[in-house]
Amino acid sequence: MYPFWEVPFFTSGIVIALIATFHILPCHLATGAFWFSVYVERKAVRQNRPELKEFVQKFTLLILVFCFVIGSLTGVGIWYSATVASPRAISGLIHNYVWGWATEWVFFIIEIATIYVYYYTLGRIDDKSHLKIGWIYAWAAWISMVIITGILAFMLSSDKWLQTGGFFDGFFNSTYWPQLFTRTALMFAIAGVYAVTVASRMSDEKARHEVVRTAAVWGIAGLAGTAVFMAWYLYKLPEPAKELSLGGGLPYLGHMLTAAGVLMGVIFLYFLVVGLIRPQFANVVTGIIAMVILFAAIGAGEGFREGIRRPWIINQYMYGHQVVGPDLPAKAIKSEVTKFQEEGLLKNLYFVPDEWRDSKDQEIIVKTGRILALHQCGNCHSFEQEGKIRPLPPLLADLQPESPDDLAGFLDSLGDYPYMPPFAGDDQDKQAVGAYLFYRVLGNPMVDNGE
Amino acid sequence: MDLSQYLNMMRDPAGLPFYPIIFQLLMVLTFAMHIVMVNLVVGGVVLAIWEKAKNTPFSHRLTKALARMITVSLSIAIVLGVAPLLFVQTIYDPFWYTATTMSAVWAMFFLVAVAGAFYAAYTFYLGKLGAGNPKTTFALSSYVCVIFLALAGVIIHMITMEQTIPNQWKEWTVSPWTGMNTTGFIFHGIKLGRLMHFILPSFAVTGVFLMIYSWYFQPRSDYPQEYLNYVAEKGAKMALWFSVFSVGAGFWWAGMIPKDLHFLSNPFFIVGAVAGLILMVFLAKAAMEPVKNAIPAAVAMFVVIFLMCYAREALRMAYAGAFGYSIFDYKLNISWGSTLLFFATFIGSFPVLYFTGLAAFKAGRAEKGQVVTISPSAGKLALSLMVVWFVVVAGFGVVISLKNGTLF
Repeated sequence: MYPFWEVPFFTSGIVIALIATFHILPCHLATGAFWFSVYVERKAVRQNRPELKEFVQKFTLLILVFCFVIGSLTGVGIWYSATVASPRAISGLIHNYVWGWATEWVFFIIEIATIYVYYYTLGRIDDKSHLKIGWIYAWAAWISMVIITGILAFMLSSDKWLQTGGFFDGFFNSTYWPQLFTRTALMFAIAGVYAVTVASRMSDEKARHEVVRTAAVWGIAGLAGTAVFMAWYLYKLPEPAKELSLGGGLPYLGHMLTAAGVLMGVIFLYFLVVGLIRPQFANVVTGIIAMVILFAAIGAGEGFREGIRRPWIINQYMYGHQVVGPDLPAKAIKSEVTKFQEEGLLKNLYFVPDEWRDSKDQEIIVKTGRILALHQCGNCHSFEQEGKIRPLPPLLADLQPESPDDLAGFLDSLGDYPYMPPFAGDDQDKQAVGAYLFYRVLGNPMVDNGE
Repeated sequence: MDLSQYLNMMRDPAGLPFYPIIFQLLMVLTFAMHIVMVNLVVGGVVLAIWEKAKNTPFSHRLTKALARMITVSLSIAIVLGVAPLLFVQTIYDPFWYTATTMSAVWAMFFLVAVAGAFYAAYTFYLGKLGAGNPKTTFALSSYVCVIFLALAGVIIHMITMEQTIPNQWKEWTVSPWTGMNTTGFIFHGIKLGRLMHFILPSFAVTGVFLMIYSWYFQPRSDYPQEYLNYVAEKGAKMALWFSVFSVGAGFWWAGMIPKDLHFLSNPFFIVGAVAGLILMVFLAKAAMEPVKNAIPAAVAMFVVIFLMCYAREALRMAYAGAFGYSIFDYKLNISWGSTLLFFATFIGSFPVLYFTGLAAFKAGRAEKGQVVTISPSAGKLALSLMVVWFVVVAGFGVVISLKNGTLF
């Protein structure tokens, strides 16, 4: 295993979650916005209405400054944060989907080239060519979504890939199409909020109200599509994921889904009131409020999507603690859970003081247990009493253990919980982790037993 | 467990979906493209500050042009940087992941630094062009941009250097007194010679950019010939002298490399060094007619940068090889379909980028207020390729989904 980065109280997973949530807004805006922008520009050209081009210019500048700063950086940021928080998981994805990501990168290059040329050549090249550049950007941006959705969906439903190891068998999996359509519809809703906000700054009142209304209609259509395709997505979830979320296995997942739905309902009202009934209410302040609500809704939705994968980080292949679950004969991959349970995790760790490996000193065993516990539990659980993300102390205290052996025994049963990975280690590892959890995490006094 | 066992055990069990030499080639090529844009940003912002301080009409105009160039270059640099980041994780995963997890906080701060540099660059650009030109904002933002760029550069240099000295990882990370260092604050491996070998070429690359700038705007009547000559001559001088300094820094750094790696006799290094010397001779000649030689200078500069990047990759192989790791030993699980998907897309992007580039080229060269017409056939082809890509891939996806029973 790689060295471990510990984020006290929050876990490193929350860093990925935060960056990912920040990424969704600009990246969905980048994918959806240009369909609207080009639509408005086309109208401006066909009806010879130059006042509409003011919107196109302002909207494109926003996309440049926001999407191509925050969007591209947080995109790279997800990789960096996944690298430092779950290196083996991102490695597993990359080694299966490197060509998928490389293909997406080609479209990134097209996006960056076309958006700059689109912005700087408005009014400087013929209308038809300018529109074509806009269309190319819109397609390239959306295709990048077509690609990344395959990799995201693979993490939840790896399906036939488990038998064949084939790139496309994993890519076009059972949740791919509903997730792609949901995201596609959502991108129009997000673009709608931004378009209403930008249009509210247009100088021509008639054009302003017209663009605000049109953006609201696009937004409402996007929300309606999101609701319909989300229902399809929920229907297509793998059974264990359904059980965890909709069946009440982990109630917080249901709450997140509800929160996302309610917040999207508020956005619907925003489009209805600010966009259609009272376009004069459209301004930067109401726009920012709507964006904050959108941000929260997306955070809840993405949290739901991440949560239902448990205990897997890559469905049926790699557990949340970054250990390969079952054998995967198609790729000649052997189960690491079995290996570590037979050989011991400690023997397979490089970043451990060599003096500690066979120590009988109780203090050293506890310290060794901490390293093992970080690898086994630290991705999802904070170790502090005041921890904010699934803190271990209250969870373990509920078990009322009376000795480290009680906790070592409990580790044996971890795999019985539908959302927990099995303990990937041998008896010596369990004893060490049990001792660490009992004495350090729960704070029981260490008794000198003469060992 | 020894280091060699660790490195080889940590290779991803899925193996590689294609031959490692292809990933290596793509990694070096895309890194060369990325570093050229990074060089333009670093060289551009420092030159802009310098020119602003001179406060002449020409230097003022050049500062304005550089301010715009920096924001665009930084965007492109970030996007281009995604590809080498992807490929290094593919073939050097044990090195990359170990270094980044040890130095996780710095890796995260790298993102903050780049974002800071980006917004400072935009403030620099928009502040400069805005009416009333708030001078303090302008000056401050340009310095902030330089500071953030320097921080980002030092961090990524450190993470790269940590990967070359795996024999010290354990010493940094674990001790019998404290156990494992999980703070993510580990920071080691700065080598000034190598850092300078990245920074100094920034000014040479920016020099070549100035030569191209001068060549490009020759037909424009609103660009006085004296101004374009001023820019071209400055560019030619910068390109030549900073190439010389870069070669000097390169040899300084090469002198610090452990002798047992025999880097100075490595064929990749020799080819890169000879190409660098030829470039210097060419730039000395080009300085006499900088506008005429702008395009050949840019091509030659890129070729040398690419060769030097390959030389550095050869050095990385030597470092890794010393600990029993070779990318050519990686397990293979060849995926012809996805390999075809990438290369078809990559090649298919050329006409699209040609059309986009043509539009930019023609629009920028046309007189102010003039509307130029771009080749309709090139535009039609470019747009059609996007639609065809989607139709083919989605159609294929539907067939796969139906075959696997995953669609309904």
